[in-house]
Amino acid sequence: MAMKKKRGISIFIFILLMISAIVVLDRSLTTNQERASLGYEPEDYVPSLPAESGVFRRSEYALDYENMPDGDSFKRSLEDYYENRAYPGAPPIIPHPLVSEQGIGGKSCLQCHENGGYVDRFKAYAPVTPHPEMLNCRQCHAAPKSGQLFKKTNWVKISHPEIKGSALQGGPPVIPHSLQMRENCLACHAGPAAPNEIKVSHPYRVNCRQCHVPVQEFATLKAKWDSTDQFFRKPN
Amino acid sequence: MNRREFVKKLAAASALAAAAAMFPGIVFADQQEQELPAGEITWKKSPCRFCGVGCGLKIGLQKGKAVAVKGDPDSPVNKGLCCVKGYHSVMALYAKDRLTKPLVRKNGKLVETSIDEALDLVASKMQETIDKHGKDSVSMYGSGQWTIPDGYVASKFMKGAIGTNNLEANARLCMASAVTGFLTTFGMDEPMGCYEDIDHADVFVLWGNNMAEMHPVLFSRLLDQRLKRSNVKIIDLATRTTRTSTAADRSILFKPQTDLAIANAICYEIINNGWVNQEFVRKHCAFKKGKTNIGYGLEDNFKFKDEATGIDLDEFKEFLKDYRPDKVEKMSGVSAKDIKYLAAVYGNPNKKVTSFWCMGMNQHTRGTWINNLVYNIHLLVGKISTPGNSPFSLTGQPSACGTVREVGTLTHKLPHGVVMNEKDRKMAAEIWKVPVENIPPKPSLHTVEMFRALDRGEVRFMWIQVTNPMVTMPKLNRYRDGALKEDRFIVVSDVYPTPTTDIADVILPSAMWIEREGMYGNSERRTQHFEQLVDAPGDCMSDTWQIIEVARRMGFEKQFPWSYEEHIPEIWKEYSLFHEGAKHGMAPYQVLKSQPGAQWPYVNGKSTQWRFHGKYDPACKGNTYDFYGKPEGKAWIWARPYEAAPEEPDQEYPFLLNTGRVIEHWHTGSMTRRIPVLHQAVPKAYVELHPDDAKQMGIRNGNQVRLVSRRGKIDLPASVNERGKPVRGHVFVPFFDEGKLINELTLDAFCPISKQPDYKKCAIKIEKV
Repeated sequence: MAMKKKRGISIFIFILLMISAIVVLDRSLTTNQERASLGYEPEDYVPSLPAESGVFRRSEYALDYENMPDGDSFKRSLEDYYENRAYPGAPPIIPHPLVSEQGIGGKSCLQCHENGGYVDRFKAYAPVTPHPEMLNCRQCHAAPKSGQLFKKTNWVKISHPEIKGSALQGGPPVIPHSLQMRENCLACHAGPAAPNEIKVSHPYRVNCRQCHVPVQEFATLKAKWDSTDQFFRKPN
Repeated sequence: MNRREFVKKLAAASALAAAAAMFPGIVFADQQEQELPAGEITWKKSPCRFCGVGCGLKIGLQKGKAVAVKGDPDSPVNKGLCCVKGYHSVMALYAKDRLTKPLVRKNGKLVETSIDEALDLVASKMQETIDKHGKDSVSMYGSGQWTIPDGYVASKFMKGAIGTNNLEANARLCMASAVTGFLTTFGMDEPMGCYEDIDHADVFVLWGNNMAEMHPVLFSRLLDQRLKRSNVKIIDLATRTTRTSTAADRSILFKPQTDLAIANAICYEIINNGWVNQEFVRKHCAFKKGKTNIGYGLEDNFKFKDEATGIDLDEFKEFLKDYRPDKVEKMSGVSAKDIKYLAAVYGNPNKKVTSFWCMGMNQHTRGTWINNLVYNIHLLVGKISTPGNSPFSLTGQPSACGTVREVGTLTHKLPHGVVMNEKDRKMAAEIWKVPVENIPPKPSLHTVEMFRALDRGEVRFMWIQVTNPMVTMPKLNRYRDGALKEDRFIVVSDVYPTPTTDIADVILPSAMWIEREGMYGNSERRTQHFEQLVDAPGDCMSDTWQIIEVARRMGFEKQFPWSYEEHIPEIWKEYSLFHEGAKHGMAPYQVLKSQPGAQWPYVNGKSTQWRFHGKYDPACKGNTYDFYGKPEGKAWIWARPYEAAPEEPDQEYPFLLNTGRVIEHWHTGSMTRRIPVLHQAVPKAYVELHPDDAKQMGIRNGNQVRLVSRRGKIDLPASVNERGKPVRGHVFVPFFDEGKLINELTLDAFCPISKQPDYKKCAIKIEKV
């Protein structure tokens, strides 16, 4: 009996080894073959910034946003929001001290800025980035170390777009800003870090652009309307 | 605006807003062209002002001012993304100390004058110097920030009209080795590939290139590919740990200058393991060797001429025997295992490999050689001129390629070919309508030698445009003292006061970037046009028009006949004559105006993305590789040995000094430091030390230390464990800070072939202050 059992085990192990060997060999063979037969891929052009890509991102948090705290102590105002930017639409500066100057940002920034969360030290919720897939954060976001200027400047910051513009009273407001790099609406317009003035009352509706349409930035939307083929019909 | 206009405008504004809201997504073109309501921004395209990547920007304009920037989503370069410099670039137009009036030095003091008087003075002084000391006593020094029309009129003025080859540009300090690398290996300048290689390559090898900071938009394209395709790997081969190293899949550190040995060791391994693409090498490559022990150009009037001798594969193999990985391990500090790994990456027939490099390889006393050696690797395995297989030399200035390399604003160059070639001289003379004898057949002074000649007194007049040599020249003290000597006349055209305007006798205020019309050419052979988007302040005048004005004053009206309104398209038309044909054809003006750039050779209405392969390049014979820059269509594989740097650390000066940039600042910081966001992020230069070295010397982060070389000394705050980390025994200092001139310490040794100085290696000692 014991003999049989032993033999059974060894047969089992042998079969297991055979199967794994086949799997390993097969995989390494096929991957190599795939690589080898690739040649030159047909050009499948994927633009880095598909204009509509981010609309639904973060929608899985939409219900949470609805139930999130709304305390006064950590609220950000729209003025705070624009304070960190050289002009409306400019990449914001990093207004807090950093753990490290080494590295491109990436994971260390995303720890807080991918999903937000309360930071006791700053008595604030971390704002959420609308483009977490871009990892070289320090490419665009500078961290000031000094408040001084090298030379004085005549630069005047233009005023930010106004938050109004419904066609009819009570109608859905239009989107007054560029969507480039900010395709994901919920990142800035929902959650506890959202500036109060632009916080959406109904984040759970998710498909923002069902009702809200951009009034600028037609080029970004790839909806280019030349004067030649504009929609304009004359009665015949 | 009167009340009536205001009311009218207001009505238009609300009508537009209402219409736009009622018909979502529809723009009524007629309305768009109407006067826009207050607060509305108009967006116009332009290439970025800063680096050689050449990102497409959309500049937001309001009430005649540039007020905002976004990436141009239609630009195939950056696809809508910029870096922190690009996003804030327009702020550089508006610092308070902008030069708006011409200044002339009278009794040692700069005095405001009229633009006519200043231009008269420049012309008469130039003529007077020529009459007194000969044509070769006047010179012009421009840059890779010259627009193409700037460089073109400069070349026509100096070489065609006046008749001297004393025309150089700061690109000599940054791209010359790349050029000689291309010319010696392929016989034609500029990369064969394009940025789209990034979308196809499996492995990226960065040779001494801190891409995350210096070419951040392209680096983001690498990172993006790595996210999308799991097989993509980034290898950082560098002398210092940077942001790029931490983002790479593998960081390999080597001892400066031994990149020569490493590249040869990779070739050794490729041959030894049978990874050579035999058919490719047989059909498309030839083997050559050149002179060795070629010197460092440290002495005045240094001369060197290389000579190519044909060798065969066996001789090449014999040459490589000195570079067995275990031998190179001892020289370079890179383990034989890592060398074999690199060789396996290049040698794997199933992987497409793209190599990137910039200043690490170019600012190198053997810069031409190391460029040759990296091409050797790509040629041996046949990974070149096809999507994803690309040895890619990056540039640092917006038009280093477009202007300095293509127009040829270097002493030996003409817009087509070189001054030494009679046919090229004849062509230039014909197009320029000057006697062919005007163009001297011998190159005169390259940049370092030109400043030496200014010191010695052979050059008495220098006109400097869009560059800041009193921050960027190596061994700066000598060249500053030389420029300040009696009887030297220096004209500087710039937009802000700099250490270079400090040495000027005349300062001409220039129109900057989008304050005038122009074109830049980026690293991937893309020519990009920008129109004038805002008015230039005060008396500011484009560099092109300054040269035209002076040339006319000197009697060259015939060569510079264009009207102000039409001069840019007219210049473009004339310049394009030099490049006609399938090998270098340029896109017509209208095409450039209508789209975010076009890549030359522009043939039959199409850009060429990959050169030297018949599938993509209409200039090739047949449907395969054709390196038509060289006789028999064969690229040259060069036997180039390792030779040590001219100044290695020793007992007295035990540290090695490396200089470079940071992401926030561009070149000498004369623009970026005037952008508040950027200046506040990195307000001052510093010296990066290895933590162990710092500890040993009792230096802590922020402590002042003194760096001393054989040429100068400077005090800087120490930076330990901050942005970058040099290896033990090395230090790094960024050069953007005019208050901390690190180039007073650097060495003016250069590559004898390219004449480009090495800013990355000299010996210093460190003292605690």
